Amino acid sequence: MKGTNTGKGDKKGLVHGILPWIIPAAFVCAWFVISRAGILPPYLLPDPVTVIGTAHIYIFAEPGSAPYAGRFLQDASTSLLRVFLGFSIAVAVGLPLGILSGRVAEINRLFSTFINGLRAVPGITWLPIAMVWLGIGMRTTVFLVALAAFFPIYLNAMAGARQINPLLLRAGAMMGTGRIRGSYAVLLPGAMPHIMTGLRLGLGISWAYLVLGELTGVPDGLGAVIMDARMIGRVDIIIMGMILIAIVGKMSDALLVAFLRLSFKSARRMP
Amino acid sequence: MTPPEAGKMEQRDALTATVLEAMGVSMHFSVNGVRKGVLDDVTFSVGQGECTCIVGQSGCGKTTLLNILAGFIAPTAGLVRVRGRRITKPGPDRCVVFQEDTLFPWLTVSENVAFGLTGKKGLTETIEERVNHFLALVGLLDFRHYLPRDISGGMKQRVELARVLVLDPHILLMDEPFASLDYRTRREMQDLLIALAQELSQTIIFVTHDVDEAISIADKIEIMAINPGTITEELHIGQERPRRVTEASYGVYRDRIYRALWS
Repeated sequence: MKGTNTGKGDKKGLVHGILPWIIPAAFVCAWFVISRAGILPPYLLPDPVTVIGTAHIYIFAEPGSAPYAGRFLQDASTSLLRVFLGFSIAVAVGLPLGILSGRVAEINRLFSTFINGLRAVPGITWLPIAMVWLGIGMRTTVFLVALAAFFPIYLNAMAGARQINPLLLRAGAMMGTGRIRGSYAVLLPGAMPHIMTGLRLGLGISWAYLVLGELTGVPDGLGAVIMDARMIGRVDIIIMGMILIAIVGKMSDALLVAFLRLSFKSARRMP
Repeated sequence: MTPPEAGKMEQRDALTATVLEAMGVSMHFSVNGVRKGVLDDVTFSVGQGECTCIVGQSGCGKTTLLNILAGFIAPTAGLVRVRGRRITKPGPDRCVVFQEDTLFPWLTVSENVAFGLTGKKGLTETIEERVNHFLALVGLLDFRHYLPRDISGGMKQRVELARVLVLDPHILLMDEPFASLDYRTRREMQDLLIALAQELSQTIIFVTHDVDEAISIADKIEIMAINPGTITEELHIGQERPRRVTEASYGVYRDRIYRALWS
């Protein structure tokens, strides 16, 4: 009896482990079939093996031995730095402002019209003015990332602070918790599920705007490589760049979640 | 001892003996220009170690009164003093046990009980020792590492009780704390509360609409009328503990309360 139970558990665990990889695997298979069968020509869709070869050169080869050889570390770290800076600015402004707006009606009234008006302007329309003000490169990219990541962080922090059970705040107050301790010991953990959603959405959109900022002619970064490759007709590099951004983006999300779980009980013990 | 000194002593004794005084507490608000009273001139006092029950039907303003005593809301008239000091905001000298679950879901049982102790001065033992002592008192020492979502409703109310008793408040304010528990658990909690209150000589104000509950735990019952909420009668329960619902005196008290509530 016990044996069958364990067997069942293992089987369940196996299915559970495989489940997330079924669709990516099917995707790669379809790609392989379409490119190998000649349904699409290689200059539109190179086959997966070519892309893997390109990635190998891009990541591991000696710099200078071939075009784009060994540039990955440099590009990825530049892009990561831009995302990190822009995202940090968005967190530093969006989180406190969102929580305050969720708790203090006057602050919400003061800011909400302006912020929601600003939010109606598509991020991409900031690109020309950002290039005029900040030039091409690091500063424009960080600006775009910070601007785009701000909104989901701000809005979710506000929702989280607003939906918190008022009895929890009263419970804190009757145990002698003042304003400052109440903020980080009751309010912040109480709003944590929403805050976490906002931060993850913000980080996700950070990568989108990173690429936008890097498409404008900066010499380095993952977005720049993609744009560069288009000029010289290297579709394999474009696809490789897209996949690498997907991987790095997914890893940064996992890292963010792990960091929050490590730092906050309220994130670790979320139902 | 000379007479004036004796007078002073008596006065001081009287001051320490009264823990809480509510004087002319009223709460009014206007609906479409019509003045409506929730509470009207509520006056009573609670002595050290006394368990006072406030009994009244739903909507009579019991919870509003308790929120005023706790300092969550300010009355439109009147004042509340605790140990002679007028209260203006919530504080750990007047702890509250709520009807709903208000444990912090991100903290374990023992972390919840330790919450109010963080930063409290003048402790003779470590926080952990004190927390464990009070968890043992409510019978939850074995569950100290559990999260609130993993324990039952009755256990949650024990944690609520422990986390305020641990702060040694001047007065404990309880707002129908056992109303959502099943009958048996409710009786257990009532017995536990009385036992702990006597052991710690804890002063309590207990709000309930359950007349039997009030008779079984109270030293003194304040009967509250509705529209506007005001205290119409005070009843001292002299009965020895533990009390049984079957005792003859129970019926006498019950009759008197029902008459006062629905006359």
